Amino acid sequence: MITCEEFLAEFGDYLENQVSPEVRKELELHLSQCHACRVLCDSSRKTIKIVTESSSFELPGSVSDPIIDRVMAKLRTDRS
Amino acid sequence: MSFFSEVQLDEKFGPFVAFQTALGFVPNLLHAQTLLPRVIEAQVGLESSVRLKEGAIPRIQKERVFLSVAVDRQDGYCMTADSRMLSSLGASEDQIAALLNDYRNAELSAADVACLKFCLKLARYAPSVSSEDIAALRACAFEDEAIFEAVITTALAIYRCTLSAGLGPEPDFGGQRLASARIVPLHEGARQGLSSDAHGTARGKGPYVTVPYLSAKMFAPFAIVQKSHGFIPNFFRAQALRPDLLEAELQAVDRILVPEDVLTRVQKECILLAVSAANLNSYCVAMHCNLLRGLGMPSEDGDQIAVDHHESSLSDADKALLDFAVKLGTRSREFSGEDVVNLRAFGFTEEQILECVVVTALNNFANTLQMGLGIEPDFEPPPIFEKNKVHLSGADRTRIEDGGAMHLVDTLQNADAEWVARAQNGNLEAFEELVRRHSQLIYRTLIAILGNQADAQDAMQETLLSAFKHIGAFEGRSKFSTWLVSIARNSALQRLRHRRDFESLDEGEDGDFRPRQVRAWQDDPEQFYSKSQMRQLVEKGIMGLPVNYRVVVMLRDIQQLSTEEVAQQLGLSVPAVKTRLLRGRLMLREWLSPHFTTRVRGTAQ
Repeated sequence: MITCEEFLAEFGDYLENQVSPEVRKELELHLSQCHACRVLCDSSRKTIKIVTESSSFELPGSVSDPIIDRVMAKLRTDRS
Repeated sequence: MSFFSEVQLDEKFGPFVAFQTALGFVPNLLHAQTLLPRVIEAQVGLESSVRLKEGAIPRIQKERVFLSVAVDRQDGYCMTADSRMLSSLGASEDQIAALLNDYRNAELSAADVACLKFCLKLARYAPSVSSEDIAALRACAFEDEAIFEAVITTALAIYRCTLSAGLGPEPDFGGQRLASARIVPLHEGARQGLSSDAHGTARGKGPYVTVPYLSAKMFAPFAIVQKSHGFIPNFFRAQALRPDLLEAELQAVDRILVPEDVLTRVQKECILLAVSAANLNSYCVAMHCNLLRGLGMPSEDGDQIAVDHHESSLSDADKALLDFAVKLGTRSREFSGEDVVNLRAFGFTEEQILECVVVTALNNFANTLQMGLGIEPDFEPPPIFEKNKVHLSGADRTRIEDGGAMHLVDTLQNADAEWVARAQNGNLEAFEELVRRHSQLIYRTLIAILGNQADAQDAMQETLLSAFKHIGAFEGRSKFSTWLVSIARNSALQRLRHRRDFESLDEGEDGDFRPRQVRAWQDDPEQFYSKSQMRQLVEKGIMGLPVNYRVVVMLRDIQQLSTEEVAQQLGLSVPAVKTRLLRGRLMLREWLSPHFTTRVRGTAQ
């Protein structure tokens, strides 16, 4: 079986579903037998889900509109 | 005699001794490379492990593959050499004569005929190989290892023919046999295979061969790959069936591509990229675009070389170098000593031209191997390359079948193009539309670099003004959004330079990161927090990341671009993005853990 270190080396690609079937098999075999990596994997997936669904750093129209309006006004003045 | 000067090497030069022992002489193909002994070592390593060994495919059958490919390419040097080799292995004169004319009359077993048919299709037009061709081999009892050997033998045959065309060696023996050689026309079956593919019918995808898992720990030579690529590409993993061949290949890479004493690494990667593109090999295009990015070339420049290097920002000399390589790599029959002379006029030395020939040969070897094994991509090729490739009309395909290189400059058809054109003509409404479409992306890029809202909002104004000022310089080589991100990055970096807490956005050694929190999380961690509490928690966590990780996590997980897009937008290599992304995510996990573990339940403040 692969070591935790080898598991970690592939972990990023595994989270992104970018490993080949052979590698996946090895990783999942490791997961089935290693509690620490299983916790890491489960909590990392949950982290990604939370982060991607958080709508963080959305710039509300109430903030972006005045900025864009100011820029457009300046460009129009510069032109005339 | 060849196109290149010959240098007298020490009698004990290992590769020559090996050939002297195995064949009784040193082929002129090797004598033609004595200016660069290291490339001879590379070739001899490949020949010893692929060709001169009995394997799942017997040696004599491998020689038939070599001869058939040489006949197909009308390569006089290789035809003579390979006929002689077959003869020395006991093939009858009649059989050799038949192979020189039409292998189907050579009284071979059904399996041997199927093997030659497959190898010739792969050699002639690799992109048309599909799982159906592999199924035909399996029907003749070919197992994985034999299929792999058929592919790699063809790849080596092409390596040799490319070298022979580019080096112009004298035949090793008298050419009387050649008088009787007639070139077999493309068989009907093979033609049909080509034309059905030209219309873009669905093809079976690889990988065609199942391989065991091989890690860098188990196989030391992978360490070299890890170092140059940042990860182990599928290209190498797919060859795990035969670690001995893989080792010879990695040695060839080490001897041919790694040294910088003749051509630079960037020049060699450009050759690999341009010739792979001309061979329509999107796997290798993606790989070399990525490597070039890692070597510091902006991704738009790499993409442009893949589409048409004439329009790239390379020097005239380097463009001529790529013309030379593309011609040799795709239209070897038209290639002659004159091409070598012409390239010298651009100031290249004999050693440099010789190295270019060898790099082109290695490229064709790799392209053939990738297509023959159906190796799956590690990441996406540049969208503009795929677009051009997919849009090739039937007529263009014919041109490629005839050996023409692909040089199409297509207009980038993305949704922004029309608006961009109008904005470039000074239409302010069009510009405003573009800005509104991409305002989130710009803002998130800015806040990720600057680390606070107020600065990000100020910088946004600067970014938009600067974008309008420079929009005339946008040439449509990348996506418009990528270009906008680069403007935003510049605005943000300028601002940072005026601040004290300046953190570099450049590579820097990424320290080792070890996960510490080992408590399991709850099944449904979100349920105890409101949406706005979650958002606060995440924003705080992201702001706490080092800027390098913050930018990558922002674009990938918050803005939800693909890893490849993030790499392009930030001018980083894909592996660098992957590393930063994983580190950033794991740090966020540490930050979130106390709030979501089963035992401790924190609050969102």
